[in-house]
Amino acid sequence: MHERLSFYVKRESPLHQLNPLTKLTLIFGLILPAFLVPFYWTPHLLLVLVVFPLAFLGKVQGEYFNAATRLILPAAGFLFVMQALFIPGGEVVLARVWFLTLTQESLLYAFANAVRIFVMISSFTLFMLTTHPSELMSDLTRRGLPGQFAYVIIATLQIIPQMQAKANTIIAAQRSRGLDTESSFSRRIRALVPLVGPLVFGSLVEVEERAIAIEARGFTSRLPKTSLREISDRPLDKGLRWLLLAMMLASLLSRIWFS
Amino acid sequence: MKFFESLKKDFNTMTWVLIPVAIAINVVMGQIVVVLRLPVYLDSIGTMLVAALCGPWAGALTGTLSNIIWGLAIDPNAFPWWPVAFFIGLVTGICANAGLFKNIWKVIITGFLVALTAAIVSTPIAVYLYGGITASGSSFITAYLLQTGRGVIEAVFSTNFLVEPIDKISTALLAFVIIQGLSMRFVARFPRPQNIEIQKGASKTQLWIALVVVLVLILIAAFVLVRILAPGG
Amino acid sequence: MPVVRLQQVTYYYPLTETPALQDINLEIEEGEFIAVIGPNGAGKSTLCYTLAGFIPHFYKGELQGTVEVDGRSTQDSNLSDWVLRVGLVFQNPFNQISGAKYTVFEEVAFGLENRGVPRNEMIQRVEEVLEMTGIADLAARSPYSLSGGQQQRVALASILVMQPKVLVLDEPTSQMDPIGTREVFGVIRKMAQKGMTVVMAEHKMEWIAQFADRVIALWEGKIFLEGKPQQVLTDERLAEKGFGVSRYTTTARLALSRGLWQAERPLPVTLEEAVSGFAAIRNGQSKGKP
Repeated sequence: MHERLSFYVKRESPLHQLNPLTKLTLIFGLILPAFLVPFYWTPHLLLVLVVFPLAFLGKVQGEYFNAATRLILPAAGFLFVMQALFIPGGEVVLARVWFLTLTQESLLYAFANAVRIFVMISSFTLFMLTTHPSELMSDLTRRGLPGQFAYVIIATLQIIPQMQAKANTIIAAQRSRGLDTESSFSRRIRALVPLVGPLVFGSLVEVEERAIAIEARGFTSRLPKTSLREISDRPLDKGLRWLLLAMMLASLLSRIWFS
Repeated sequence: MKFFESLKKDFNTMTWVLIPVAIAINVVMGQIVVVLRLPVYLDSIGTMLVAALCGPWAGALTGTLSNIIWGLAIDPNAFPWWPVAFFIGLVTGICANAGLFKNIWKVIITGFLVALTAAIVSTPIAVYLYGGITASGSSFITAYLLQTGRGVIEAVFSTNFLVEPIDKISTALLAFVIIQGLSMRFVARFPRPQNIEIQKGASKTQLWIALVVVLVLILIAAFVLVRILAPGG
Repeated sequence: MPVVRLQQVTYYYPLTETPALQDINLEIEEGEFIAVIGPNGAGKSTLCYTLAGFIPHFYKGELQGTVEVDGRSTQDSNLSDWVLRVGLVFQNPFNQISGAKYTVFEEVAFGLENRGVPRNEMIQRVEEVLEMTGIADLAARSPYSLSGGQQQRVALASILVMQPKVLVLDEPTSQMDPIGTREVFGVIRKMAQKGMTVVMAEHKMEWIAQFADRVIALWEGKIFLEGKPQQVLTDERLAEKGFGVSRYTTTARLALSRGLWQAERPLPVTLEEAVSGFAAIRNGQSKGKP
């Protein structure tokens, strides 16, 4: 169990040094072309020529490829199988299984789609590996995002692991009292009550005190907030953001132009 | 201007503190249901709690953020579905504001309306992003409908419409039971305690009204389905 | 000129008919240390929240009378401005962690960020207060990874860094183990010695006797007794009204009834007072013997 929900890996790398907003733009600068540009091999090329090298540039290749094989590959792979089998149409029939037909067209379509999803999840993963959540939220707050949003995001990331730990404790306790997750449907439904009750009510009761605690520290103050963290935003960052924005626009235009 | 003022009222400190807890409830419930192998998701209980206690926009925000965080932390395939979560929160909140979160029968209507919304909103996402076949188990139904020669939109919507109501109505009922278990003094801290004051009175007539409303809704939904079916079939 | 002034304060929580506080009049001088005692439901927490502005701003309800700190009344202020006048620390240390920060240093700085304090000043103030509360070595740790006593000192630091005029503590050690209690009271003692104005609701009589300049006993929302700690804490009526009483006082009272305590000697609250009292008796007896 993680103490907190964060994938951030502290390293010194060009990717780490980029401003969080630049990296956020980068995510969409990868996703939009992958989904929009009509050229078939776009997502594949983006993955191999941009995403993989970025992992090395950020010095998080170990963590990234680990996540890629454990999380992203199964997700994209499952989607690939489902789509290859279930998408109807296509002329070149490769195989027939039960009521399903596997065609060359559906295979190609599913492959591109799986790679698109791979690119999308990869770019988020790289972002999270190289950006500390506080850094992102401080930067966005500095740029005018209401401070409450920063609170919500960071608090959520910290509460989830606590609650998961609590849930695991309760499940273990219920198991020792004879709850069997293999037992009948109605027993499993009834097991929901002793599980959910303490978990939900316990955490809701804390809400009031935590609200008092943060109000006692000026949470509702309307003064402009300052930040303990200093976040660099170099001219390089600004340039990159414009470049990425132009790329997103270009991929959108290419889509409209060619379809 | 009036809109912004009511928005500001809905987001008091209690709301801001409740949202992370609600998101965590969504995530953890979604996981518990998997452990218990129950045929529902229940992963929008927190969203519905916030929507009922703090209004539609707080609900919509909770839903959206839940989805993003679910995508980041657990299943990356969840990402594209954030608009569905957004509308689940929004519609629950609108229903609650309209007084549809005050007794069991009204909550069932809320659950049904939310399910309808979810089915409508998720259809274009499934169709345009995934070509109709998503990484969800219910895609088997869609695949079957597709193979029998129906249009993609129709097949996806029918699937969603089959799957959503059970989940959303049970979620709404569970959220209702949780809220009823909270003390009035605690609920009064939130922006919209009036949404969930229990209505006492003739529950028999309410039951009939609810049944009639659900029936009408099903008829409307069926009508919509037929309309979609016509050009496709 | 008192820094805190409550006049005819009566308060009803929403949806309630009986007042949680009734006709409270109270003046607190700068630098005074006030302890508030009372059984559960006597209004200790309500009084704390009233001073800290959460009544009426957070809890709503009906507040009558005036609550003034430094010449301004709560009713005329924002809660977010009031926190610079009165800082509040309460029982549960875990729930006082904002959740918005990953390290103790950031956690303590949270209030200053909200108030828009410039970065350099912020760092300096946080470092000072971490030093003062004895948690400088925890600065880089996650607040969730700490013990109860450490968390409560983080909560104290997070409030003290805002430099409030008055510090209100609502049973700050009720959820601590003995080690945590000692750690937290250590910081409170330091604040008292520095001349900070403190109001502390507490039921650990031995500690109260050490710090408090004045004790206020609440009973059903009213001030029932008020005065020097020694005088209030040993009052006979406390036990029958359900107040906690120091075991040393109880022991000495029993001893007095059996003639084992000097009648003219005030009853003890702390272990030290009890020991010296019993020692005096023994010395007296040994002197009396031929």
